[in-house]
Amino acid sequence: MKRYFHKELTELKNKLILLGEKSHEVVHLSIEGLLENNIEKVNEAYGMDDYVDVLEMEISHACIRYMSLRGPVSSDLRLLVVALKASKDFERIADEAHSIAQKSYRLLTTEGSLKNALNLSEMGTLACQLVNDSISCFVEEDIDKAFLILKKDHEIDAINQKHFDTLSNEASRDEMSDTARFNTMLISKSIERIGDHAKNIAGEVIFLLNGDQ
Amino acid sequence: MNVNFDIQGKQAEPSKPPKPVIKTKNLDFAYGDSQALFNISMDIFKKEVTAFIGPSGCGKSTLLRCFNRMNDLIDIAQIKSGSIRISDIDIYNKDVDVIELRKHVGMVFQKSNPFPKSIYENIAYGMRIQGVKNRSELDETVESSLRGAALWDEVKDRLNKSALGLSGGQQQRLCIARALAVKPKIILMDEPCSALDPVATAKVEELIHKLKKHYTIVVVTHNMQQAARVSDRTAFFYLGRLVEYETTEQIFMNPKNSKTEAYVSGRFG
Amino acid sequence: MKSDTNKQTTHLFSQRFSRNKVMELSITGILRFFTYLVIVLAGYLFLDITYNGSKAVFTKEAPFVNFQFLTEKPQTLHVFEPADIDTQLKSAKAEILTKSIKRRALSNSNYEAAEAFTLAIKDLNKEVKELDDLRKERRLMFSDTEYRALATTPSTKDFVYSTYAYSGGGIGPAIIGTILLVFGSILIALTLGVLCAVYLSEYSKPGKVLQSIRLSILNLSGVPSIVFGLFGFGLFVLYLDWGVSLMAGWFTLALMALPVIITASEESMRAIPKGFREGSLALGASKWTCIRTNVLPYAMPGILTSSIMGIARVAGETAPIMFTAAFALRDRLPWEGLENSTDFFFQGVMALPYHIYVVSSKIPQNEYTQNMQYGTAFVFLLIVGLFALSSIILRVKVRKKYDW
Repeated sequence: MKRYFHKELTELKNKLILLGEKSHEVVHLSIEGLLENNIEKVNEAYGMDDYVDVLEMEISHACIRYMSLRGPVSSDLRLLVVALKASKDFERIADEAHSIAQKSYRLLTTEGSLKNALNLSEMGTLACQLVNDSISCFVEEDIDKAFLILKKDHEIDAINQKHFDTLSNEASRDEMSDTARFNTMLISKSIERIGDHAKNIAGEVIFLLNGDQ
Repeated sequence: MNVNFDIQGKQAEPSKPPKPVIKTKNLDFAYGDSQALFNISMDIFKKEVTAFIGPSGCGKSTLLRCFNRMNDLIDIAQIKSGSIRISDIDIYNKDVDVIELRKHVGMVFQKSNPFPKSIYENIAYGMRIQGVKNRSELDETVESSLRGAALWDEVKDRLNKSALGLSGGQQQRLCIARALAVKPKIILMDEPCSALDPVATAKVEELIHKLKKHYTIVVVTHNMQQAARVSDRTAFFYLGRLVEYETTEQIFMNPKNSKTEAYVSGRFG
Repeated sequence: MKSDTNKQTTHLFSQRFSRNKVMELSITGILRFFTYLVIVLAGYLFLDITYNGSKAVFTKEAPFVNFQFLTEKPQTLHVFEPADIDTQLKSAKAEILTKSIKRRALSNSNYEAAEAFTLAIKDLNKEVKELDDLRKERRLMFSDTEYRALATTPSTKDFVYSTYAYSGGGIGPAIIGTILLVFGSILIALTLGVLCAVYLSEYSKPGKVLQSIRLSILNLSGVPSIVFGLFGFGLFVLYLDWGVSLMAGWFTLALMALPVIITASEESMRAIPKGFREGSLALGASKWTCIRTNVLPYAMPGILTSSIMGIARVAGETAPIMFTAAFALRDRLPWEGLENSTDFFFQGVMALPYHIYVVSSKIPQNEYTQNMQYGTAFVFLLIVGLFALSSIILRVKVRKKYDW
């Protein structure tokens, strides 16, 4: 039997997906804006953060409300816990994207354009894909996809490490200003963090689906 | 992607300010020498579900029974001071006809009490005692009441069978349907699910949720989860006093009073 | 092997001897003994009445029921016994008597003489039995009407003639009278009792007054029946001048049954779940509507069953009708010879309990009267039993119907 309050769970789920989509969009916009030298996109990404924050707060409120009023157990309870954690992760993803946008803005305004894109393009695509996958594995309840995300995250980590090596190299000092170097480094770090959060979400989806920690 | 954006908790609150239908003011109530209710003041709002919670003997049932003067049946029970106004009429005034009051304020009891008659006659009882004899009118009301209580599909083929053959949950919903048949505006429920299994309880709760579109419902319950699930507002009673009366969200998520907090979180006593 | 296991069999839960166990067994035995004693006594009572009574009520031929006995009025029995056999019988019996006296007078040592006497007595007894059978075959018995219809009465030379009052005919009027008395008093007692009980259990406020009313009703059931009889005699027969009549009997019996009925009715109404009342009141029923539609109908079967039981017991009483309603003999049936219809209520009737009293105390007891005495008792037992049975059947049926 479906209870009237089960509708609230569906709504919550939809809201979580929406939050995921939004944070994915922020990530996508900020990285694309940086790579395409498009300040407007960067600005747009920069402005979306507040909206994501509100959404995250709504979700956590709804979770707590449902927990205290409806007495959920088993998969319902896991969904709520996952929603709480995943919404936090999505919000952090959006935050990282926000800071990418911030750095990008600074880079683009001071340097004019990104001189050495390094592997940022590949890294960004990967991160976007991871975020997207983490959402779809939640939507499709696909546990295999979730495990795949855990693996893919290492690739991003590796690229980030390479960036770190490159940028800390003497050679790069001639090529880029210090500001550009640090900002690029931070952007790379942020993308790596986004990958980590996507990985966390994948872990939570695994917990949601099979109940294991 | 198109998802509505209002924060969930706000859905329950109607856009218009809620309108109080039962106004209790400074009510003191006693059984003989022992006072059962102390200075109760509360408003119960239209088309909302209000839940009364509290440990046994806290006076929640007593207050409920004051609303349709069921306490009149007990000789030593009496109101010491204060008033209860329903639709702005003092129901303990001398010129109030208890029979009319009880038609307006229906009641469903803890133990389901279908009369040992057929299902049809159970529902028709309220109208028959008012002198309705018209068969088609009776048929119509029986059907609409049973539909209102979400029981029609289950019993339509055996309306003339004894109501005692129904399951516990069905019996309780039959009692709700019986109360609906006299077309009340307010329905009082005294622990309607205490004798039911979880599935039957869920059905009754669904029904309560459905009924609040048209009726003002006051439900006494020992089951805090139930209060949390079905009600819009919750009142916590303790030792005959109203400790806290707030929206259900407030009571269960962030009660102001430490006693309420202890009770709803199970740390009582 | 076996001797070995003997030791091993004393495990944790094996049987052990103890004082308690002996006590338990002996107490069970004592309880069982007394219970069976009571059952045997009661059984003897019933069997005795049934055995002797069925001689009067049943016949050996086709319809097997002696309708004459059940429908006719009591009459005097006229008996003509063949004179010759009668004298032979008398002499034989006298001889047996003398012989047995003589034998008793013999000294203990004289075995042979005693043996001879015993044999002689045995022979004589056989002879007496044969004579008796012959007598039964040849004797003539007439009820009053038959006797009067006789063209010629048997000559007193050949026959010894004797009469026995009440022993002929049947007990029809008494049966009818009893049934009338029972139904009338059920009607009156039920009406009064239920009205009282409704007030007491539903309307009256609990308190000292109610307590004392209940107590006095209870006490009423302890009043001896003869006191009720005298009371009814004083109030209905003399003061209200109803005479010895059905009405006086009804009211006296009803009064006697009232305590039982009121108590039983209150009990039945109290057994109706509170929920029925509350449910009905909460739907806007007035108090009387609630009682009328939701208490009385469900209490009625219980009230009826216990009331019938109560009345059946009261109807067995002789004392209350002795002064108020019962005639020892009335040759008219209640509906015969009424001048106007109200007379029906103001006539005395015959009743089985009183008839039993009359036939067992006012006439001698011998083979001619015994039929009537036992027969009446048996029929009465049957009637009371039928009432009890009907109430039991009613209760069982109703239990099935209203099972809450």
